[in-house]
Order: sequence, then structure tokens, then C-alpha cells
Amino acid sequence: MSSILEFARGPLFRLCFALMILGLARILFLDVWGAYKALRKAGDKKMPWKLILSRTWEWIFPLKRMKNNFHFYSLLSILFHVGLIIVPVFLFAHIQLWKISVGIFWPSLPFNWALILTVSTIVFAFLMLLGRIIIKPIKELSKGQDYLWLLLLLVPFTTGFICVNFSISPGTYQLLMLFHVLSADVIFLLIPFSKIAHCVLVPLSQIISGLAWKFPPRTDDDICTTLNKKGAPV
Amino acid sequence: MRTNQITDEERLKAFKSVKKPEVIDKQKLGVRYHVEDFDVNDRPRGFLEAFAAILKHSNYRMVLEHFSRVSARCSHCAVACQVYQATGRREDIPCYRSELLLNVYRRHFTLGGLLKGRIASGDYLTDEKIREMAESFWNCTACRRCALECPMGIDHGLITHLGRYILSEIGIVPRALVVSTREQLEGPTRNTSAVPVPALKDTLEFLEDDMFEEKSVKISFPLDVQNADYVFFPAVSDFLMEAETLMGIAAVFRATGDKWTIGTGYYDGINYGLFYSDRILERVIKNIDVETKRLNGKSVLIGECGHASRSAKYFLPTFCCDKTASPVLNIIEYTYKAWKDGKIKIKPDVITEKVAYHDPCNLARQRWIINQPREMLKSFCKNYVEMTPSGENNICCGGGGGTVSIDEIRPYRTTVGGKLKADQIRKSGCEVLVAPCANCKKQLRELVEDQGINCQIVGLHDLIYKAIEFDVPQPADTEELSNGKGVAQKEGK
Repeated sequence: MSSILEFARGPLFRLCFALMILGLARILFLDVWGAYKALRKAGDKKMPWKLILSRTWEWIFPLKRMKNNFHFYSLLSILFHVGLIIVPVFLFAHIQLWKISVGIFWPSLPFNWALILTVSTIVFAFLMLLGRIIIKPIKELSKGQDYLWLLLLLVPFTTGFICVNFSISPGTYQLLMLFHVLSADVIFLLIPFSKIAHCVLVPLSQIISGLAWKFPPRTDDDICTTLNKKGAPV
Repeated sequence: MRTNQITDEERLKAFKSVKKPEVIDKQKLGVRYHVEDFDVNDRPRGFLEAFAAILKHSNYRMVLEHFSRVSARCSHCAVACQVYQATGRREDIPCYRSELLLNVYRRHFTLGGLLKGRIASGDYLTDEKIREMAESFWNCTACRRCALECPMGIDHGLITHLGRYILSEIGIVPRALVVSTREQLEGPTRNTSAVPVPALKDTLEFLEDDMFEEKSVKISFPLDVQNADYVFFPAVSDFLMEAETLMGIAAVFRATGDKWTIGTGYYDGINYGLFYSDRILERVIKNIDVETKRLNGKSVLIGECGHASRSAKYFLPTFCCDKTASPVLNIIEYTYKAWKDGKIKIKPDVITEKVAYHDPCNLARQRWIINQPREMLKSFCKNYVEMTPSGENNICCGGGGGTVSIDEIRPYRTTVGGKLKADQIRKSGCEVLVAPCANCKKQLRELVEDQGINCQIVGLHDLIYKAIEFDVPQPADTEELSNGKGVAQKEGK
């Protein structure tokens, strides 16, 4: 068991983490490159930067937007994201692993804060899952992966919480820790290929949407030529 | 979840089709709007070919790639959508609607989708899916309120725009829009309402006489003036239906003394291309550009019309490659500046009724024109009230996205599309609702009529016309116009 655990949090973790970084870098590059090409093709290159930045900011910190149009599920989602982002990055134990293996470290969360955020993330993930099952429009939109992602994200938080806060036998500890690490590995591996890619792409959304309305000139001519509609009546 | 759903009776009324069953059978298309006959064979292939051509010659691929990666299906957009709020149907959730097209893109235009298709040959585009898109994309009012509310930043309005564009390339587009556009681009009158030049001149001359009677000053509609500062393009329907709006605009120019003109070569600001085809959008925009250059005008001035203003403002630089495009102004911007500069005098508190302002989506959603009309209205309306939400977050009139021009879906527009707006008007208790947009005005008038609301719908310049003051008339004013010689008549010689 311990050798599997070592493998999972050693080479496998490094491989999955590297693939995640490479995968995210790839889609980020494709997005930026696509935006650059679109801007070059566009007839009008003036971008409403002020509006774009303002709306990007509003959705990275969405309190103002929530005030405008309250949506219970979105509130759950915001609260869920707080712990989801902060705990894995600022947990003392995680920082120690980075310190030992790579030699880098940064300030960590106080234990109580980490505990509160972990519990809140678990609770909000459950509530979101419930929301996907019972709130009509969300239920109607949801696909299998939407449920699976919530369940998958629950695994490292729940197992980590149990390992840290409960007196359990070493065997159980190792088993739970294996689940903890393996689920994290799977999450890292899947991020670039799933909707969770929004973690790096969302800041670009408003730019992409703004650019989307910047059409290339000669649309009429080009499309008509390709579709063999030259001279066809309206 | 908050919903303001319609009753079953209203639902039946809204979704009742006026089309004959034999037409539906022949066209294999059950949509409620009329469509001209088109090739119904192998429609999926046609759709995919058009989609591929559009992807090749546009920037849509970048957008679809991004949107298909970030779509989280959280349904936050449903809270903002007035159509979903009224129907509560899955098909009307903006994200669901976008997914219809995103799924086609993922399946047929991405490596993952093509591989998936090879392994498990399913999920391909079918006639049924095209029918669903044809229904869904034209239920949307393209107000883009949902885009504002999407945490992932997905512009569902853009996806709807693209979906309609592809559908139009295979012939699925409301006949009402095609017929008008055909007249505008290929017909003898070159405008969507088929107003010929003699009729235009008669109308303007008549309005000049009216204004002289009412204001005792010479107010003219200059035609074909070379080197004018502003070449004016209203929604052409204004010449038929919005006399007071036009008179208000002419009065503002009389007060400022700026040189403006209406070109008889082309005088229609309407651009249905914004609603269904980038190709049409480009062709109409180029007509505006050609006319402005023919008259050697300095700026393009668009009248009280949201979509006409947005299409000119945002797409004239696009299709004229930025450098040669004339600057574009909406008339509200012009009047506001003149008012701020003290060039026009307005009698304070002259309007005593309870007045509210409706933001046309195409003017407000991008934070373009929001506060300017309000400032002016508050200066001469004694009892101005605000509707909530407003400005950038406004609620659409329910006839946006070209749907207002489709008469056969009026029950849908006034029962479903405009339901939230009707509730908002009722709640505000306004007696006069100012809507500076030809489309909004038509829809709102039908809405208050069908919903039994006692409220008058007017343009901004209708009220400005009532409130504007002129200095003592000059002798030249009285001589020329008391003889019945309008400037339009003289210009037309």
C-alpha cells in the first residue's frame, strides 16, 4: 500500500501535474493565438477595453453581478469556489510537500481557517449536487460530467478532512490518503480536457466575446464564392 | 428559482401556428414563422457546408472553441432571460439554446468529435436537430441580457446570431425579413418599407408645413445637401409612422444650425442583417457608406433606432476596414451634446404626465447610451419615474432580434417575449413611455394594446419637439413657409 501511495504522490502526481500545466498552457495558447488571428482578420480593430476589463473583473469577483440578478445556485457556486481554490493551494501540509520536493514555499492558512473552508467546500459541493438534481433549469441542462465532476472534487476534500481530523488506523489512513492523492491526480489530468478548463480561460471570455463581434471584411464575397452563391438573389 | 410564467391559456395562444399544415409538410419545418420555399433535401449536409464556409471566412471558430470549453451549464442565464421566465421551458434557457449549436460544432468540427463519431457513430446532425434550432433561435429576442449574466462570459446572443446565419444560408429565415431586405438591396425603392422618393418628399414637405404651423419657424428637412456634417439615416418606417420623432430631430437641427441632410439615393438605417446574416449586414452597411460618400458627408447620423445604430456604429468600421469609415453617431448623442452646449432651449417641466424611459437593448447593453436621454428627460418632464432594472440590465421590449417584424408571431411577442416588460410598465405606473427605437416602439405599442395597459409609447424626440423653444421667428421663416414652399420641395427640383 505504502509503495502505491508513494508512487501516486510521487511520479504519478508529477506526471499528472505536468500534463495539467502543459494541457492548460496549450489551450491558453490556442485561445490567445486564436484571438490574435481574429484581431488581425477583423476589419475594425478597436476593442472596447474598458468595458471588457470591467466585465471581466465583475465576474472574477461576482458580488455586484449577484446583487443584480440573484440566483441561489450561483451563490452556492461562488462559496464553493472559495474553498476549492484556497484550500489546496494554501494548506500547510501541501506547502510542506512542495518545500520538501521542489524547495519552494509560501505562507499557509491557519489550521482553523483551512478546516472551516474544507467543511464549507464539502457542504457546498453537496448542495450543488442537490441543486443539479432538483432545480429545474439546472437539472435540464446538466450532463453526466456535471455530476461526476462534483463527486470527483468531493473525494480529495472529504478524504483529506477525515485523515486530518479523525483518529483512524494507519491502514485506513493510508487507504484514504491513496484515494486523496489518486483523485487529485485524476482531477489534474482531466482539467485541460473538460469544462474545468474555465479555471484559466474565463479571464479571456470577455475579450473573446468582444472580438467575436469584430467580423472580417468581405464576408459577403468570400462566403458567396465558397457556397457558390455569387449573384444569387437575396 | 424566480419565474413569472404564463398561464396555459396564454401558452396556447402564444405558440399557436398560423401556418397551413400542407406548407409545413412541404417544407418539413414546423416553425411558427413563414419561410419561403427552399430545398428540403439533405438539409443536414447543406447546414454543415454553410457552417464550414462560415467558419472558414470568419472569426467564429475561435469563439466556438472557447465557448465549448468553458460552458459550465449553471443556468444563471435563465434568471436573466425574459423568454424563459415566461415559458419555463428547457428550450428557452439561453445556455440550452447555445448548446444546440455548440454540440454540432463539437461533433462535426473538432478532432474529438470526429473521433467520437468514428467510434460510436451517433450524435450527428439530423433534420430534427435543425428543426429544433430553427424554432429555438427565433424564439430568442437577441437582447443579450443573458450574456451579461453568464459567469463564463458566454455571449449566447452571438451563438444565436451565428445559428440564424447558418440557417439563413440553407433558406430557413423568416419571410418577413427576407422580403424587406430584398426590397432594400434589390428593389426599386432601396428601402425596407418600399417608400419611393416622391413619397418621401411629400411626407417631409407635409411635416415642414406642420412644424411651421405649430412652431412658427421654418424647420426643414434638407435633401441631398453636399458636404453636410451629418448624413441622416433613420429607420425608414419613421417616415411612415413616426412623424413627431422626425419633427423633433429637424427641430433640434434648426436650433443648432448644423448642416445635415437626408440622401435620396439611400435613406434607410434598418439593417436586418444584424438579425440573421453577416453577408446581408455587410451589404446594407456598404449602402450607407456609399451614400455618405456620394454626398461627401462627414458623419453618419442614425435616427431613433437601436439595431440600426448598433449595426452602423459597430460594423461600418468593420466592413469599411476601419480607415475609410465615417464616424457614426446616434441622434441621441447629437441632441444631448447640443443640449449640454446650450444650443437648444427646452422648456422645463413642460411634460406633466408620468414619464418613464425604456432602454433599447442595442443602445444600452454595451453601456453606450444610458444616462444621456434620462438627463434630458428629467429636465423637462415634471414626473419622471425609473423602471427597474434599467440601463445595461434593462428588460427587452420583447420584439428584439428582428422578431417585431414577424407579424404572424405577434401573440408570442406580446404574451411571452414582452411579458416581463409589460409587468415592468404596469409596476412603474407610467402614462408615457419613451422608447427611442423604431422596433421597440412598434413592439411596445402592440404589447400595451394586447396586455390592456394604458400607456402611450413615444420617441425621445417626440417629447423634445413638444419642449423645444425657439427665439422670435425671422422674417425669412415666415415668408418661405407661409407660401407653402417646403425646403424638401425646393431641394427636390
